[in-house]
Amino acid sequence: MENYTINICHLYPDLLNLYGDNGNIICMKSRLEKRGISCNVTGLSVGDKLEADKFDLFFIGGGQDFEQDVLLKDADLNKKDEIKRAMEAGKVFLCICGGYQILGKYYKTWDGKELEFMGLIDFYTEGHNERMIGNYMFECDALGGDYIVGFENHSGKTFLGDGINPIGKVVTGGGNNGIDGMEGLHYKNVFGAYCHGPMLPKNPKFCDLLLQTALDVKYGEGTVTLAPIDDTLENNAHNYMVNRLSK
Amino acid sequence: MPGKVGLSVCPNLLGHLAKDVKCIIVTGTNGKTTTSRMIEQTLIDAGVTYFCNKSGANMMNGITTEFAMNSTLSGKPKCEYALIECDEAAFKTVSKYVDADCVLATNVFRDQLDRYGEITHTLDNIRIGIQNSKNAVVCLNADCSLTASLREEIPNEIVLYGVNLPIYKEHIKESSDAPYCIHCKHEYEYEYITFGHLGKYRCPNCGYERPEPDIAVTDVIVSDANHSEIEITMGGEKRKATINLPGGYNIYNGVAAVTVAKVMGFPAETAVGALATFECGFGRMEKFMLGGAETRMILIKNPAGCNQVLNFLSNIDEKSMFVVCLNDNYADGRDISWIWDVDFESLQRIEENLTGVLVSGIRADEMAMRFKYAGIPEEKIRVIKDYEKLIDEFTAQDAPVYIMPTYTAMMDLRAIVSKKFGYKNFWE
Ligand SMILES: [Zn+2]
Repeated sequence: MENYTINICHLYPDLLNLYGDNGNIICMKSRLEKRGISCNVTGLSVGDKLEADKFDLFFIGGGQDFEQDVLLKDADLNKKDEIKRAMEAGKVFLCICGGYQILGKYYKTWDGKELEFMGLIDFYTEGHNERMIGNYMFECDALGGDYIVGFENHSGKTFLGDGINPIGKVVTGGGNNGIDGMEGLHYKNVFGAYCHGPMLPKNPKFCDLLLQTALDVKYGEGTVTLAPIDDTLENNAHNYMVNRLSK
Repeated sequence: MPGKVGLSVCPNLLGHLAKDVKCIIVTGTNGKTTTSRMIEQTLIDAGVTYFCNKSGANMMNGITTEFAMNSTLSGKPKCEYALIECDEAAFKTVSKYVDADCVLATNVFRDQLDRYGEITHTLDNIRIGIQNSKNAVVCLNADCSLTASLREEIPNEIVLYGVNLPIYKEHIKESSDAPYCIHCKHEYEYEYITFGHLGKYRCPNCGYERPEPDIAVTDVIVSDANHSEIEITMGGEKRKATINLPGGYNIYNGVAAVTVAKVMGFPAETAVGALATFECGFGRMEKFMLGGAETRMILIKNPAGCNQVLNFLSNIDEKSMFVVCLNDNYADGRDISWIWDVDFESLQRIEENLTGVLVSGIRADEMAMRFKYAGIPEEKIRVIKDYEKLIDEFTAQDAPVYIMPTYTAMMDLRAIVSKKFGYKNFWE
């Protein structure tokens, strides 16, 4: 059998790692290796130049405000153009919470200050003094409406520009802004969400969607198909939260 | 709750009750309870009268209750000393009423982000609390770049403590909670790390660095599965100390307790002696027999604390069973994402010795999955949500059992264990 490999780029693993995001990396790597597909994970942080061609899947996690300006300065200098190129080329991105927000145009703090973000996709975020926090659930459009469960914790309210699609519709919880019922972002193969921490382990179908898409983009559609694996524990964890949040 | 009643009748009740008592306040993310028990042993051995808050009653209400119960009806204190373990957020409020003689800030780690917010927010809370404590001598951990930075903005007398050498030859992988300089955000350089972000740090950009501690651990002679033997240097004098709990974090707790005792004027021999004899706190490596099983209960609540527990557990050299009970009630932290920041993978090293990994609690399913992804064979992982059945299961075998519950899971477990095994005062 031919050897297939997915190269994951974990952007700012030391800065954007606030909420157990590492669970997503552990999960993607493990689910690829169980299917006999190799997986390399490379962390790139401040000072490292990004060469997007070397990677098939990008992950950006959530972080603290304290570290945001270190990061934005570096992104501008060392990574932004390559991120843009990779996104437009259809590479897979999963961006969570702060890592999702920084793709947008700006963040307006509650006292009116505007913090310029990368401006790669047309949306923006406004800070509020009230947090959206707790377990939540949304229907994921890319999964044909199947649920994704997770935990959100953000005071930013995100508003998508015209023609930019959300990742799905909120069933319980706040989502992007607590107003329009939308959660996250889906642009080409870029997924943004407020579902922080270990999003992928208890949403195995979504994890496989990301992996399958990355394989299709790299090797051509239909070349490699992810074989089914035993997801008993994953489904238990998923279903427990679906039941709890459906009450 | 008497605390709540008291507060609503007279908001300044706590201030009134605390007026004539010598108060020690212990705050910080990790180590509050164990350090308090060590200080308490010093108070006992010194023969002074004191009271303290226990059983995790470290919020405003619990603390007021404790003061009320230890005062006469007219509000006169029955004891000379009050030893108060205080939640970082509650410290900000409690310090408005209690004029402490000594404040200890142990460290700042990421902890239950849904309750405390970001790590700098915790630091701000402690700073406000210290600013309210105008008459206190402040003891700070020099090895925590966040905690030690507090000294720059407060006029109080400050005593620093720390560990002058790396404690472990090898430690488990864990990410730092504070990799970047608190002042200029440049990455720190470390001469050594003890654990987490604690160690001898220096910012190559602005020069902010670990201050030299006044009271320091200058040697770790033994650190095994049951205890540590260390050398503490204070005022040029070296003393050997035995700490009757294992783990590097308890070395920090020990030197912190000695520092507080020194500040409060207790003899160094008493303080050092207390480390060898104190009774460990509620769920802090607490040991008891259940049926035939030697059981230790270790409270888990955040990644730094849990990683330290694993540092200890992954070095155990005998057959043993692990039990993790993960709840997500408010007091546990509603967000359980942190279990993915804990290096459970380190248990692969002792996997052959693991007779089983039992998981329970409200979020047992997520915990089971975490162990699976950590590389523990699925046949060893068992979900038993019913506590009665869980207890039956681990007491029916003879290997030592290490139970790691979150806070409310520990309370539920204790209630059932007390009933089943007739343990009295299991709450004290
Ligand atoms: Zn600096």
